This record gives sequence, C-alpha cells and structure tokens, in this order.
Amino acid sequence: MSTPSGTKAQSVGPLSGGAVKDMLLAARLPIAIVVTLVLFGMVEPRVLSFGNFRNIAIQASYLAIFAMAQTMVILTRGFDLSLGYTVSLVSVAASMAMVAMGSGDASILYGVGAGVLIAALIGLANGLLIAGIGINPLVTTLGMANMVMALASTISGGFPVTGLPRGLTTEFAQGSLLAIPIPIWFAGLVFALLFLTLKATKFGRSLYIIGANPRAAVAAGIRTLPVLVLAYTLCAVLAALGALLLTARTGSGEPNLGGNLTLEAIAAAVVGGVRLSGGEGGVGAALLGALFITVLSNGMNLVQIDGYLQQICLGVIIIVSLIVNRDVTRR
Amino acid sequence: MAPLSVAKPTEQRSSLLDRFLMQGGIVITFLVVAVVATALVEPRFLNRLNLINVMRNFALLLIPSLAQMLVMTAGGFDLSVGAVVAISSVVTAAVMLVGSGYFPGMEIGVILLSLVAAIGVGVLVGLTNAGLVASLSLSPFMVTLAMMSVLMGIALYFTQGIPIYGVADSFITGVGRGQFLGLPIVLHVALVVLVVCIVMQRFTALGRHIYAVGSDLRSARLSGVATGRTLTIAYVLAGILAALTGFLMTSRLGSGQSTIGGTLALETIAAAVIGGVSLRGGVGRAEHVALAALFLAVIANAMNLVQVDSKYQTLVLGAVLIVALAIDRLLLRKRQA
Repeated sequence: MSTPSGTKAQSVGPLSGGAVKDMLLAARLPIAIVVTLVLFGMVEPRVLSFGNFRNIAIQASYLAIFAMAQTMVILTRGFDLSLGYTVSLVSVAASMAMVAMGSGDASILYGVGAGVLIAALIGLANGLLIAGIGINPLVTTLGMANMVMALASTISGGFPVTGLPRGLTTEFAQGSLLAIPIPIWFAGLVFALLFLTLKATKFGRSLYIIGANPRAAVAAGIRTLPVLVLAYTLCAVLAALGALLLTARTGSGEPNLGGNLTLEAIAAAVVGGVRLSGGEGGVGAALLGALFITVLSNGMNLVQIDGYLQQICLGVIIIVSLIVNRDVTRR
Repeated sequence: MAPLSVAKPTEQRSSLLDRFLMQGGIVITFLVVAVVATALVEPRFLNRLNLINVMRNFALLLIPSLAQMLVMTAGGFDLSVGAVVAISSVVTAAVMLVGSGYFPGMEIGVILLSLVAAIGVGVLVGLTNAGLVASLSLSPFMVTLAMMSVLMGIALYFTQGIPIYGVADSFITGVGRGQFLGLPIVLHVALVVLVVCIVMQRFTALGRHIYAVGSDLRSARLSGVATGRTLTIAYVLAGILAALTGFLMTSRLGSGQSTIGGTLALETIAAAVIGGVSLRGGVGRAEHVALAALFLAVIANAMNLVQVDSKYQTLVLGAVLIVALAIDRLLLRKRQA
C-alpha cells in the first residue's frame, strides 16, 4: 500500500506551521513568476526588458481569458474539452462572415455576432447534454470537441481565411487605450466581471455550491440545470471573445488556432489553484496561472528551447503544481 | 463468484428488456444495425478483403480500448494511451533500426528485442501514472493529460516528426500483413488479449479487486484490498497494452511514427463508454468493450467505403459517442423511474 495520505499531511503540518510560511505558500505563484523571470533573465537579459514585459502581458491576456472561461465550468466539477476547437471554429466562421460582408469595418459586427452565436450554441448544447441528460462532462465535451474540430476544418477547407477588415487587425491587435494595449483591457474586463459574478451574485455562489456538493446543492433548492447551462454557455462565449482577439492578432481565420488551447487553459487554471474536484478557486487563480505559464513559455522561447521540449516542460509543470496545490489545500 | 461491485439486476421484477439492456444489449443492437445497414448500402463491405481490413482495424482499436477499460474500471482514466502508442512505435522502429546494425541476420531476435523495449516503455509510463495517481492521489485526468504532453513532446523531439524507416521486412510481412488460419495475426493477438482480460475480470482476485477499487476506493481498502497495488497493476497493464498496440501499428505502417495515436484517446474512451464502462469506475466488461470497438471499426469502414471525408468521420465519431451515451442515460432514467 502507498503511504496513507493522512499521515503525510500531518507531517507537513507542524513543520510549516509558521505564519511566514503560510504567507509564502499563499503567495507561491507570484513568487514562482518572479523567480522564473529572474532565472531566465540571468541567461537572457532581454527577458527583463520593458518591451518584453509588455509582450508577456499581452500574450497572457489571451490565455487568461481562456483559463477564466474554463474556470467557470471547472468550479462546478465540469470541464470544457471543446474550448480549444470552439476557438478554431469561431475564428474561421467569424472571419468568413466578415469577408462575406465585404471586409469593411462595419463587417466586424457581423463577425462578432456570428462568432458569439456559434459559441453560444456549442455551450448551450454542452450544458443541456451535461445538466439536462446527465452525460459526464468529460465525454460530452470530448465528443463535442471532435464535432467542432471537424466543422472548423471543413467549412474553411483547412486553409486560413484571409482578407479581414483592417479595423479588426489593427485596432484590436495593436491598438491601445490610455497606453494599455486593447487585449489587456479585455482580459481585465472579463476578470472584473467574472470576479463580481462569482463573489456577489446568486449564480456565482451556486457554481461553488454545485461544485462542492451537487447533492447538497439540489437539497438547498438550487436549480442546477439553468445554472450549469449558463456556466457552459458563458465559458463558450468567453472562448469566442478570446478567439476574436486572437484572430485579430493573427490577421486571418485559422482552423488550427485552438489546437493546444484546451490543455493550456486547463493547465493555467489548475496551476493557479482551481481545484478539479470543484468548488474551490476563482478567476484570480486562473489569471495568475495564465501569467505563470506565459512567463515560462516566453522565457523558454527567448532562450530558444525547442518547441517539443517546451511541451515536455508544460506537462512536468502541471504535475508539479498538482502536487504542490494538493499539499497546500490539504493543510 | 461474480464481482461484488457490478450492478446486477437485483430487482426481482426486472423485465426481459431490462436484462437485455444490462447485458450489453445496447451495444449489440448498435453493432447489428451498423453491420446490416452497411452491408445493404455498400455490398462491397462483405468482400473478404474488406472484412479482413475491418478485422485489422478492429484489433488495433480493441487492444488500447481494453487498456482504457482496465484503468476506467479501476476508477481512473488514461488520456495518455495514444501518446504511449506513438512513443512505443518510435521505440520499436528505433531499436529495430539500431539492433539490425549490431546483429545482422538475426531479424527475429531484433524484433523481439524491440518488442521488449516498447513494452518496457509502457511499463515505465504505467508505473509513473500509477505513482502519481495512487500514491499521491492526484486527479487521473490531469496526470494522464500532462503525461500525454510529456510523451508526445519526447517522441516528437527525438524524431522531429519524421517517420523512422528501416523496419525489418519480416516484421512487416510476418506481423503486420501476416495471416494465420485466414485471419490477420494482429486479430489473433487482440483476441488473446481479450480472452485474458475476460478471464481476469471473471475468475481472478485481481479482477475483483479492480472492480472493488473502482467502485469505492475506501471500502475496498477497509475490506483489505491492496488498493495501491491494484491501481498500479491496472495502470501498468494499460501501459503494456498501449505499447503492444504501438508495436503492432509499426508492423502495419512499416515505420515508427510519432504522429500516430492522436485520436486514440477519444476512440478508446468512446469504445469503453459505448461498451458500458462507467466513468465513475467499478463497472465494465471486456466483451462489451470488444463489441463496441467492433461497432466503431465497422462505422469507420462504412464511411471509408462510401468515401466520407476523414474530417467528417471525426464529426460522426463525436456524434456517435454523445448519442450513444444520451440513449444510455435516458434508458437508465426510464428504468429508474
């Protein structure tokens, strides 16, 4: 038999009882971010330049939006494995809509409308299958992921959709407001909205209660069906927002845009401390997790570590943070 | 005799239909409908060469699906199945390439050596997964997802995505294309694995322990089951079966490829859940999973015959998975009502 986990937690407890240690553990992610920056900075000084910080902040905005979206369903003990391919489909479909409407700046609205509508339908379907029929979220969204992936690559023929409106590719990608780049504004806005939703609304509290104990939630009179359907729809619509921003940045509708995003978004949330067994964590954790992963991949890119090695590192980081977070929440 | 945890139709009044559904009736219905429909729409389906092709694909799906089933009945999950297949394919071909340089003329020995190496990789991955899931009690979903990322990274890093050629000819003709008693060798291998799994599930203590651990870890531990060891064995067996799949796929493709196995996690989970394996653990039978794998192989073949674009095939696979589960849930609900 393996060591009973109880004894392990107890042996950690007295050792790290001090208040300082508690604070260090609570601030483990910001510390990890700073340490990572410094370590890479020692190898490659460009890591610590203002320009690179700005870069990291912009890159992290996209991942943070996806991680926060994913958090909304992870809180309910759910998952959205279709998130990445939803991003691909929205990118392609919105681009095609914009091109079809003449690629003028007014066509951006049609693109946004098409993208959000498609994502909302995917989220609605996920939510109804999971909460209405009661199919496991993992399998539902895995099945959905494949359908959405197939749609994304067939409607585009597998090729990027080019000819996007200039307004989209300049303003929403390179533009700034009050010296802060647009993508950061969007990530901040999403964070603020979700933070308030989770803290101050009945919907937000219901998400936590459902995640902590689904049966108790039903007993407490929470109508899980509408709450879960809304959570999955919200997740998909936020994914669409991220997809539109990423499309603006890439400058074309990309059928392969979201391939790795599902893993990265879940990783960011989990690394940040959102519990997969539901009911614990928040969008702040997802934001920090996204920042950490971005800092890490930015550093690895700048010191020119092979992309495949980076993939290995991502996997190792996920496992390490699972272990760390487990010991912290145990205490 | 029967595993204690498997839900048997305990209610005395359970009708014939209920019992049929419990005993894998849904899968059998799916399978029969798929076979009959395909044969009617496309008579070439019944062509001997085509059937052999279906059998080969079935075999190569069945082995990893049984791996998935073992882990899932133990209450776990293995998203790294496809990645193990990819990396063991690379290892098989690499060992064969290097080995044939050292031991010229000893093809069979080199083939066996590469099989041992591939299985070794599978054991190693299984032990790592089990260590993280059982000893550290981490989420199997997250652990195997991370493991998938690591393994794919390793396989792609060493090959840079380029296939490894130089596989022994006798390996391709003997194993990959080989036939015995008119049936593909890979099918014989898969059927042996299936029989071993059925026997293990029905008649051995290990089989009962896997069900017990999967349905309720704590009660299993309290009743004296060595839960850590049982979980470890389940993950290691799954690793071995995935590695075997990689070995066999290499013989079929004629090269070691780091890019195979991409959709295998989905396909094996589909085969397992359509075959009635519960995602909550403790429930699932090898023979039902085999029927589900055959069902998926028939559908895939049917779509190939009527020339459906491979992208739509993914779409259909996703839809089949969801529809099959929805039917299952709705029937269950009706039965409970």
